[in-house]
Amino acid sequence: MRHWLAQMALAVAVLFAGRQMACAQGDVSTEYKFKAVFLFRFAQFVDWPTNIFTNAQAPLVIGILGDDPFDDYLDETVNGENVNGHPLAVKRYRSLDDVKDCQMLFISSSEESRLGRDLGALRGKTILTVSDIEDFPENGGIIGFVTVQNKIHFRINTDAARDANLAFSSKLLRLAEIVTPQTR
Amino acid sequence: MLRNVPIRRKLIAVNLLISGAVLLLTSVSFVTYEIVTLRKGMVDGINTRAEIIAANSTASLAFQDASDATDVLSALKTDSHVIAACIYDSTGRVFARFPANTPAGDFPAAPQKAGFQFEPAALVVYRPVIQDGHVLGMVYIEYDLTTLTQRYHAYTILALVIVVCAVFLAYLMSRGLQKQISQPVLALAETAKAITRDRDFSTRATKISNDEVGALTDAFNEMLAEIHKLNATLESRVHERTAQLEAANKELEAFSYSVSHDLRAPLRHIDGFADMLRKSTQEKLSPSGQRYLDIISEAAKRMGTLIDDLLVFSRMGRTEMRLTRVNMDGLVAECISEMAQDLQGRAIEWDIAPLPEVNGDRALLKQVWVNLVSNAVKYSRDRSPAKITIRGRESGAREVEFSVQDNGAGFDMQYAGKLFGVFQRLHLNEEFEGTGIGLANVRRIILRHGGRTWAEGKINEGATFYFTMPKLNQTS
Repeated sequence: MRHWLAQMALAVAVLFAGRQMACAQGDVSTEYKFKAVFLFRFAQFVDWPTNIFTNAQAPLVIGILGDDPFDDYLDETVNGENVNGHPLAVKRYRSLDDVKDCQMLFISSSEESRLGRDLGALRGKTILTVSDIEDFPENGGIIGFVTVQNKIHFRINTDAARDANLAFSSKLLRLAEIVTPQTR
Repeated sequence: MLRNVPIRRKLIAVNLLISGAVLLLTSVSFVTYEIVTLRKGMVDGINTRAEIIAANSTASLAFQDASDATDVLSALKTDSHVIAACIYDSTGRVFARFPANTPAGDFPAAPQKAGFQFEPAALVVYRPVIQDGHVLGMVYIEYDLTTLTQRYHAYTILALVIVVCAVFLAYLMSRGLQKQISQPVLALAETAKAITRDRDFSTRATKISNDEVGALTDAFNEMLAEIHKLNATLESRVHERTAQLEAANKELEAFSYSVSHDLRAPLRHIDGFADMLRKSTQEKLSPSGQRYLDIISEAAKRMGTLIDDLLVFSRMGRTEMRLTRVNMDGLVAECISEMAQDLQGRAIEWDIAPLPEVNGDRALLKQVWVNLVSNAVKYSRDRSPAKITIRGRESGAREVEFSVQDNGAGFDMQYAGKLFGVFQRLHLNEEFEGTGIGLANVRRIILRHGGRTWAEGKINEGATFYFTMPKLNQTS
């Protein structure tokens, strides 16, 4: 009993702290620690098609495109974790051309200017795109973070997810704001 | 414990005991099984519910969305038995509650180990929320047990009602069915009782069944027949023997009467001719001759009284008894006054207590008193004063006892049994004259009245003679 309490205490304490002070001025790292945990959680609530992995033990790669806002924290969060037997791994990409064998892609705000082109290039690929760029789901992204009243919420473009051949757990969808863009 | 209870009730009691015990055992096992099943079902149900809540709240816990978790918990409102529920987060804090307005303080401060637990009024279940091997939190549900308690009561009452009804039914049935067993036994017992009461051995028991009791009835009837036959044989044999005895007795009495009678004739001759010899030869006879004649006369006279007594004795057995109420006081006084001649010159202290009345033949009873009193007077003649005590008292419920005591010669107790025999004498004729028939007569008379005789004594210290008579209202 105490085990898991102790084990999870840190992560959750961070989570809570994030929940409370996610947008405290200048505390960017706390907000991103929170988002890092969310990224890991998203991986857990997605039905990953088996054909995107080369084998049953192949890693599930979380890629970061652009500047890394997480520092080492995302690596720490996913270290030793796995989803459906696939160990989690973090990879950093400078440009979209580098993106290979990646199942989840966090698009950093540094990529905002190239977003339309990038998303166009990613269309049809089985990659779960996540970003905190404004109106990310409306622009064809799958999950977008928004901060409302000091709380982090997420919005999901279910059409984009379907195009990417990804299905979310209804439990996740229940917590999200569903976005359906007017134009494809 | 049933030893003194009639067989009918024994059978019913045994039936009731057995059926009651079986039913009780059955009911208890049934109720126990039902309750165990009920509890298990309840635990299973609540576990499933907790499982669903846990599965549905993974995302809520993962993304720290308390309102969603509260939504998930609110599904429990469909079950009115859920008192309260909550979800703890991984730090052990209450994360979401049901009902939503319940203060967090109402829940256990920290979650317990996963599992269920029966508390006095509630079933409590803890179920961990697990996502990919990580425990994200714990679901807690408190389930109302009132239903279970009500079921307990309902089952218990139902079981009791069934047991009572069944035992009652068993009573009714066994009351009817026990007759199969008890009826033949009772009939047999009734017949046996009637036979013992009426002494009618011609009665037969009715055979009702062909089982052991039937065999018993047959055996009983056979024994009855045997007794009946034996009785009849015995009775006819008794009649036969009695007739023979009576005939022999009569013959004997007739014989002794005629003998006694015939003996008197020669005796009268002896006496008469001795008298005539004395008169005719009075002057010629020497004094010693005279004395011999006297002795002859004396002996003849004595033999005459002896024969008289014998005649009386032999007649005693034959004369009819005329039973009347006899005043013993008067009878004793009469005897003493008639003995006045013998009492002349004697100093006798009489001590006569009031005597009870009896039912008997007055003449015969007078002979008893004459014999006993004259004996007492005779054997105490060496005493001065002689002391004669006469007593009568109730002895036991059925008899009155009379006694005549003197302070005379007495006798040796060794010969007490011979005293009442015919011609039995304990004293020489020279000491105390007598024929030896008196006490034999006394015994015979008392026996005919249904009484007993006996004597106590010691040489030179006197004797006491006793006889009993049936109490007044005992004689038929």
